[in-house]
Amino acid sequence: MSLLDIFMIAIRVAFSAFVPLCFIAVCVWMERRGAGFFQDRSGPNRAAIFGFRAAGLVQNAADGIKLFFKEDLISDHIKHKFFFVLAPIIVFFCAVMSFAVVPFADTLVLGGNSYVMQGIPMDVGILWFLAIAGFSVYGIILAGWSSTNKYGILGGLRSAAQVISYEIPMGLSLVSLLIVYGTVNLSEMAQFQGQLLFGFIPMWGAVLQPLGLIIFVIAAFAECNRTPFDLAEGESEIVAGFHVEYSAMKFAVFFMGEYVAMFASSAIIITLFFGGYQIPFLNTQALIHLAKPVAFLLMIGLPVVMYYFAGWIRRSNVSHYERENDPRVFEANVYIKCFWGLIAIIELLLLAILLMQSGGAATHIFVALLQICTFLVKVTMMIFVYIWVRWTLPRFRYDQLQKLGWQMLLPLALLNIFITSAVVVALG
Amino acid sequence: MADKIKLFVNGEEVEVEAGKNLIDAVGAVGIEIPHLCYHPALGADGNCRMCLVGIEDGRPPLVPACKTPAQEGMKVLLDAEHIKKIQHDVMEFELINHPIDCPVCDQAGECKLQDYYMSCDQKPSRMTVPQVTKNKKMDFGGGVIHDQERCVVCGRCVRFLRQITKTGELGIINRTDDARVNIFPGRPIDNRYGINVVDLCPVGAMTSSDFRFKQRVWFLKKASGVCHGCSKGCSITIDHNKEKNKDDIIYRFRPRFNGQVNGYFICDEGRLSYKSENENRLTAAFIGKVEREISDVLTAAKKELEMSKKAVFLISPDASLEQMVAVKALAAKLGATLSGYSDGYIKKGDGDDYLIQDDKAANRQGLLLLGIDTTKESFEKAVSEADLFVNFASDLSRSYEQDALTKLLTGKKTIVCATHESAFNGQATITIPVRSYSEYSGSVINCDNILQRFEKAVTKNNELLDICEVAAEFGCPLQTPAEAYAELQQVIGMLKEYQPATIPAEGLNLNDSEAANVTA
Amino acid sequence: MGAKVKTIERRGSTLTERIYLIEIFKGMARTLRHLVRNLRDNKKLLVRHYPEVQPEIPARWRGRHRLTKHDDGTVKCVACFMCQTNCPAECISITAKERLDDKAEKMPASFNINLLECIYCGYCVEACPLDAIRMDTGIFSVTDNNRQSFIIGLEELLTTPGAYSEEDYKKGGA
Repeated sequence: MSLLDIFMIAIRVAFSAFVPLCFIAVCVWMERRGAGFFQDRSGPNRAAIFGFRAAGLVQNAADGIKLFFKEDLISDHIKHKFFFVLAPIIVFFCAVMSFAVVPFADTLVLGGNSYVMQGIPMDVGILWFLAIAGFSVYGIILAGWSSTNKYGILGGLRSAAQVISYEIPMGLSLVSLLIVYGTVNLSEMAQFQGQLLFGFIPMWGAVLQPLGLIIFVIAAFAECNRTPFDLAEGESEIVAGFHVEYSAMKFAVFFMGEYVAMFASSAIIITLFFGGYQIPFLNTQALIHLAKPVAFLLMIGLPVVMYYFAGWIRRSNVSHYERENDPRVFEANVYIKCFWGLIAIIELLLLAILLMQSGGAATHIFVALLQICTFLVKVTMMIFVYIWVRWTLPRFRYDQLQKLGWQMLLPLALLNIFITSAVVVALG
Repeated sequence: MADKIKLFVNGEEVEVEAGKNLIDAVGAVGIEIPHLCYHPALGADGNCRMCLVGIEDGRPPLVPACKTPAQEGMKVLLDAEHIKKIQHDVMEFELINHPIDCPVCDQAGECKLQDYYMSCDQKPSRMTVPQVTKNKKMDFGGGVIHDQERCVVCGRCVRFLRQITKTGELGIINRTDDARVNIFPGRPIDNRYGINVVDLCPVGAMTSSDFRFKQRVWFLKKASGVCHGCSKGCSITIDHNKEKNKDDIIYRFRPRFNGQVNGYFICDEGRLSYKSENENRLTAAFIGKVEREISDVLTAAKKELEMSKKAVFLISPDASLEQMVAVKALAAKLGATLSGYSDGYIKKGDGDDYLIQDDKAANRQGLLLLGIDTTKESFEKAVSEADLFVNFASDLSRSYEQDALTKLLTGKKTIVCATHESAFNGQATITIPVRSYSEYSGSVINCDNILQRFEKAVTKNNELLDICEVAAEFGCPLQTPAEAYAELQQVIGMLKEYQPATIPAEGLNLNDSEAANVTA
Repeated sequence: MGAKVKTIERRGSTLTERIYLIEIFKGMARTLRHLVRNLRDNKKLLVRHYPEVQPEIPARWRGRHRLTKHDDGTVKCVACFMCQTNCPAECISITAKERLDDKAEKMPASFNINLLECIYCGYCVEACPLDAIRMDTGIFSVTDNNRQSFIIGLEELLTTPGAYSEEDYKKGGA
């Protein structure tokens, strides 16, 4: 094993372990500011370090520090303290683990060796995700039960029943997808989606399996305990459900677990239905051939985008009331300068790509980076959909939730399997 | 019992007692005839005209109920239109010059005029001329403050001072809307029953300078008690209230009607004796002069009791029968001498021929009934022989000078259960705070051998122990109030027919059957 | 009954509505429009930038209490306890004393309102026979560091001025 091998293993494991964690901050920030903007209010934007608000990101740091330093309280009435502490760890751990099998770039070829860009390169692929994601509900049930609290146990029970109801349509919608792809390996699925249908449509899962997509997305929402399926929390009727007795870091771990799960399930949805890391119309081979033109286009495109972005920052980052020497104007200028600096560095790197020999290691790395960026952009957009749905739809009533799961999604998923099988068999 | 007669009120037949006027007779069966000037203790005056009732087929057809004796077959009209009209007109007439300052009036909430306005009038005033203004605040002396504007000139106060106390300090001067109640120049109300006029006054014209502005009456909780000011044991209503974030406090005593004991009135001294229930109370337990937890103190006291060879118990003559029985049982069990010595409670020559008694102890008859020795000689003899002296709430400072007391008790351990702070407490080995009579329920026997039951009125934030409970802690065989009462039933035969809750409000007259017992 | 009855058409029975997803997408489009509008110009956010921009409090707003005075500056309150009696939160505690300046018989010796217990229902204002207590100070934010300082006394109640002219206050229906 060469040094490069070890380095690449470290890179891919670190990526699949830390990117979800880093995205917690992004998710929380998107959730809160997004919620604000959806509802015509501004969301948390006051916390600042030396006057720099970073569009509200500082608030996350403040809340994190607060939760970290709060008293770690375990009430006396809680008998099973071990399980009580274990529960949030299970939830968080499962969420992180479920992301491990998702490929975030195509296999990288360096010096004749191939490197899989996946936390845990495993052939079980999607089955791993199903298993781990299903396991995370144990954390919630355990939390509800060990809290020795009516609301907690109700939340836990709701969650258990909900997961059973929605794992079935989820699994069945996957079956039809597997029929199409002919594999359970997520890397192969992603590669499959790099093809073109009829020569001009990206052969994404969403195109091949629109019904499967809808069923899977709904079930994924339910698995993540996100609105409109967050009955396990149900603050209007069961206070906070399973985490009613949790405070400080234990609560924070639940909270982070929820966002990591959201990230992981977004990544899975992307990989299964939206081409994973694939850039539409440009599969890996094409990208390697067209590395220089793409780099050149980016060199032109990025400053243009940045120009408008800077204008937007300048317009938005001002005080909305009469204020002398508005410090937010200064703040905006600093941000804009930082972004231009970043753009300058990227431009230099792109220039280096242009000057280097095509087809070499640099090109491969450039393509991999491009795919990682594509992947993250897609995931972010999917997370945005999660947030968008949350701030649009009200919560289901519990009987409606069960009715939807068993009477709508399950028959539809079965129907989908029949149709897909028929089509696949007919097309040979 | 008196003879019964039958008459008709609003066409319905009712059976009432004979020989009474209509207000009392019909009132006894729960039909109220509005009246302002009439009071059962003061007799009919007939000046307010509020009690006018119709007599069907009668001559005259309209009579004042206070002056009309109930007669067989009378057909009394109360709810006829013309009677209502009369009541309404009388009310309107009364209210011509009445200042409608109910918000600041202390009587509001227990005011006859207010009640009758709500039940009989409920119309705005038609007067267009300014009201006659009079003196709003006159100090009549004796703790009575008078507001001439509110006065409806019913004359109850005047009649009380003439008929009951026979002092006649008040009179009504002038006529028509100038008529007003006043004292004679330089002669304020000066008798020991004067504040009763405040209770008698149907409106807020007479207010007690003591209670004035202290509380609105609707905040007060009422409990029936027995005055412990003297051996008469007048029935009283204890008006107390626990304000938010404060302690339960008694605001006033009012007389409670008891035909056997005090009638409608109480003396001023008894009325103001509520203050001693609020002030100067002992609330903390001590060992020596060090304040300790009550449980520690009780343990220490029990140890002292075990160690002593010969103990003397002194029980207060104010204690309830239940407490006496409990302490007596405790003394019998421990082999201690029990004394009820309390000569200091008797103030010779202080009593009068009406309510006030010489003996200021509420339950001396109880001591005698239970056969507890009260002589000075035997008490002092017992103390001199004993090594432990336990005082159950008896105020020895009334009987002894401080020096004499110190001399009497030198070299002896003392356990004091006390309701109030006193110099004697400081000398005691152990001091235990106990409840005073407004804080427990029990029964006492007054000087006329009438046994009365009183209920627990006040519940302090920091609840003290009752003497019964202290005795029980010390190992008294009677552990619960029920057991103490059962023991009491053994001693007083008449009680066998009653439970604590069923003892009549006016008390039981023991003279009827227990006379022989008492003297024994 | 003078109330106007407006019959709202019941939705949700047509096929497109029963499929539900279409309606969800409609709803999501609506919220997205809000998001885009606000992102393009965040001046359109319906947000008051408190505390830099203070709200305008109308005269009918039930703010912190105050006690009114006679024209000569003496306290109007006669300690009748009507507000205390009427207070559903039992946050008012008054002690009365004799008044010696002939304005009335009684005046408050102390008048405490526990703002932590107060529910700002305005029943005290309603109950007051003399318009002596009002909630027209316009103070809507009561903050402090310890509980004791939320119990405001006679002095503070009397010195806090009303925030509105008598005319505006009366217009509020008081």
